Amino acid sequence: MRFLSLLFPFFTFAALAAEPLALTPATLLADPANDPVWRDLLAQLAPNKTRQSKFEERRFFPFRKDPVVLTGEIRIVPELGLSLRYLTPEARVMIVDSKGLLMRDEVGRDREPPNDSRAQAATSALVRVLRFDLAGLQKDFAVHGRRDGAAWTLAFVSRDPAFANLLGTLTVSGENQNLLSIEMTKSPTQRIEIAIRDTVEDVLFTGDTLKRFFR
Amino acid sequence: MDNAALRLRRFARLALIAFAAGCAIWLLRLDHARKISTNVLDLIPAAEQTPELGIVRGFTAGAQARVMLFALGEPRAPERPPLAAAEAFAAGLKNSAAFEQVIVMGDPAAQNELGRQIFEHRFEWLLPAWLAAREREFARTGGAREKFSSWLAGRVAADLEAFLSRPEAAAMQELIPRDPLLLVPALVDRVRLLAASGGGAEGHALVWALIKGSPFAEEGQAPVFTAIERTMARVSTEYSGVELRWSGVNRFAAASRSRIEAEVGLLNVCSIVAVLGISCLLVRRIFKLLHLVPIILLSIAGAWTVSTLLFDRLHILVVVIGSLLSGVAIDYGFYLYMQPSLRPDEPYPEKLRRLLKPLLASCLTTVIGFSLLLFSDLPLIRQIGVFVSAGLICALGAAMLYFAQLERPLLEGRSPGGLAGGGRGARWAVRGLAVLAVLVALFGPLRLQWRDDVRELDLPSPELHANDAAVRGWFGESAQRSIYLTHGATLAEARARLEAFHAALNQSAPGVAAASTGVLLPTEEDWRAQPERTAALVTFAGDLRAALAQRGFTAEAFEPFFANWERARVRAPVETYPKLAADLDQALAGPLALLSNTRAAPFWFLTVFDQPATGELPAALHTIGLNQLQSLNELFTRYRWSALRLSLIGLGLVIASVFVIYPPRRGLRIAVIPAGSCFLVFGVFGLTGQTLNLFHLLGAFLGVCLSHNYAIFSSDSAATGSAPPVPVRLSALSTAVSFGVLGFSRIPVIHALGLTVALIVVVALAIVELEPLAHGEKR
Repeated sequence: MRFLSLLFPFFTFAALAAEPLALTPATLLADPANDPVWRDLLAQLAPNKTRQSKFEERRFFPFRKDPVVLTGEIRIVPELGLSLRYLTPEARVMIVDSKGLLMRDEVGRDREPPNDSRAQAATSALVRVLRFDLAGLQKDFAVHGRRDGAAWTLAFVSRDPAFANLLGTLTVSGENQNLLSIEMTKSPTQRIEIAIRDTVEDVLFTGDTLKRFFR
Repeated sequence: MDNAALRLRRFARLALIAFAAGCAIWLLRLDHARKISTNVLDLIPAAEQTPELGIVRGFTAGAQARVMLFALGEPRAPERPPLAAAEAFAAGLKNSAAFEQVIVMGDPAAQNELGRQIFEHRFEWLLPAWLAAREREFARTGGAREKFSSWLAGRVAADLEAFLSRPEAAAMQELIPRDPLLLVPALVDRVRLLAASGGGAEGHALVWALIKGSPFAEEGQAPVFTAIERTMARVSTEYSGVELRWSGVNRFAAASRSRIEAEVGLLNVCSIVAVLGISCLLVRRIFKLLHLVPIILLSIAGAWTVSTLLFDRLHILVVVIGSLLSGVAIDYGFYLYMQPSLRPDEPYPEKLRRLLKPLLASCLTTVIGFSLLLFSDLPLIRQIGVFVSAGLICALGAAMLYFAQLERPLLEGRSPGGLAGGGRGARWAVRGLAVLAVLVALFGPLRLQWRDDVRELDLPSPELHANDAAVRGWFGESAQRSIYLTHGATLAEARARLEAFHAALNQSAPGVAAASTGVLLPTEEDWRAQPERTAALVTFAGDLRAALAQRGFTAEAFEPFFANWERARVRAPVETYPKLAADLDQALAGPLALLSNTRAAPFWFLTVFDQPATGELPAALHTIGLNQLQSLNELFTRYRWSALRLSLIGLGLVIASVFVIYPPRRGLRIAVIPAGSCFLVFGVFGLTGQTLNLFHLLGAFLGVCLSHNYAIFSSDSAATGSAPPVPVRLSALSTAVSFGVLGFSRIPVIHALGLTVALIVVVALAIVELEPLAHGEKR
């Protein structure tokens, strides 16, 4: 029973847009950070500029016929991390940064997840994935990738079987330097997909916005 | 020497030897480690009337005081907690005989075990409160009783649907088919404050440990520190660069003891040097002062013996404060030793008889005053009262017997002369000064500010406190959160009060998290009502299937729940309420086990509230903010007033006894000098904005008793308008410098005592010296 250790599964993402990446030895990337096919793309994807996008998250549960749909906005500030602002069905903010995860409700009350070693490791993995810090990720994850013209897909599978079972496969995909989807798949009936659209780069966030949506 | 004198000398010698031997045998056989306490809470009465403080006091004897916190960090990789190093460190400590429990915080195995236990017992521990709350909600709708099952099913399905959009839903998805009532997810949400947050640890891996020995005893200090040092040395070889920060009560206790010992040692040396300096000025043959040493030693030995005979445990502060007794004890020796004989052949018994009245008046009135402290509620004050009273009686007895040994006991002093005989201007200046002093003494005390802080009993250690705050911060303690303790005489009462307290919190600050392990235990009322409530829900399973399907769920996925539900409905409840609590208690381990006491009275539960503490709570909630220091400060304030009352009564008795012994005019003078000195010093404190505490008050009491001696011993000289005798000057100046040295102590209470006594003594001496000048009489 994974109980208290699973309190805060904030890395709840799964793929939407691209064709699912079948994980085979052929798709395994031995050293993506230094692979000439990936190196330039990864450099472009690394969050060196502020971004704001809209997203739609669809959560699939094995005991529910239809997915639960959540919508909101994503903000990325390289120095501060990532902020997911859920707008529907409930207003809520989730912040992912170097300190870990933080939930903030609509009246601004913060809620931190407990100090669970696996949750910490998972958070750390998510932060590195969203920074496209492949050099760091390679130590703990097997990285698979596929490029098809401008479209690309990267998938991450933990090298620790227990952790892989907990986290599933984390897949990110996009076109050119645009991230279009994030997916976390444990099984066909247990997955979460986030579709990202309307990305605006080099957004100038006001102090109030930074205070409201980041730690 | 005639036979009578020889017999007297022999008797005196035998009496002194017998007394010294008795004290030595008793004191050498004592278990000093057990007899002398460094625990601040030992200063509070064992049967403290306030139950909350009794509980807090119990914490020091309980496991709470044996907790140690460790944080391992890797400065080169601050984003990743060094978990492997923490596990190795914890394994090392577990192998040490000094540790009882060691837990790596966030350890999935421990969390999973607790999670498994809670999940398995969810129908016994969580369902009663959940069902009772739903019943109350339904009652507010005004619906008919037979509609409850379908209403409840609809409510469950709606709550479940809403829950799926929450972040934790994905993690709970394997759990939900067996727990659609969300008993466990709701509990997790309610108690989340009890877990240290990952973000708050700032890249540290945290280890919680419980030591076996008392943190206030040697067994809980040196062996523990050695184990930590050795284990960390081994861990560092494998995980280089990992740094350890740690804290625990034992660290403070050990540091406090060594600092106090060093401080007291230094102060004593400075004090002796200062007294010797004064003696050089006022005594002709200084080596003869050695004759006073046995008197002081016998006085202190007597005080120790009587105190340890009467009290089971003595606090170290009594010893420290009691050692100041030498300042008073030496007075009788000075007075006896420095009084010249009336004629060259005056025998010692005759001289003693002549001096007995002032000696007895001085000693017995002081003893009467200090004996009153025996009626204090505070053990510290009672112990000081006994220590000083016994010491003074021993000092007088030892002085009288010791000088009977000497052929011609006389310590010749140097008298620099008095201040009388000054001109008219000087006389009026002194009178003006006296008027000013009276005004200050009358009105200054009205501006006094009092504040008692239990931390003043200790030598401040800013580095240790800063380290402790940092480590506790990583473990989740924050000034933004408050901790409350709810108690009751019975388990059911304590749990019911916890329920009322949480309801009050929810009403005053809706939505603010309040976590307690107590919520795992239903109230006795809900627990007793549970079988009847579930038995009445005959159609609930069917109703819920329909409601789930209606909300888009696949009802078949919840079959594991329905099977458990039917079993739970017919299962016999746990035999008794205490048995239910005992089962829960067994499931809780590590830090969670210390957040409640469900085993024996007084029963209590802690609540962590996600807001800083506010004002005092209504008494009806039977809950206090667990700001331990604040609680103790209030306690000390209460005891200060008790001590003040007793001191004033003591002072009244001392003054009354003076009037019994001396004629009214002389008695008035003897009474006014100490009382006036005390009020003048407090007046100066008031006008200069000093904040006083219990120990200024104790110092004042000591100062009054000392100046009372000077007033008595200078009584004859004052009557003739001559300068005070040398013993009074020597004694007052020695006391002033030795207590003045204590005024430089970094231990706030010693500083308060030293400063107060020194000032009162200086003022009393000044009055005695200026008295003839003010009267305008010639020497």
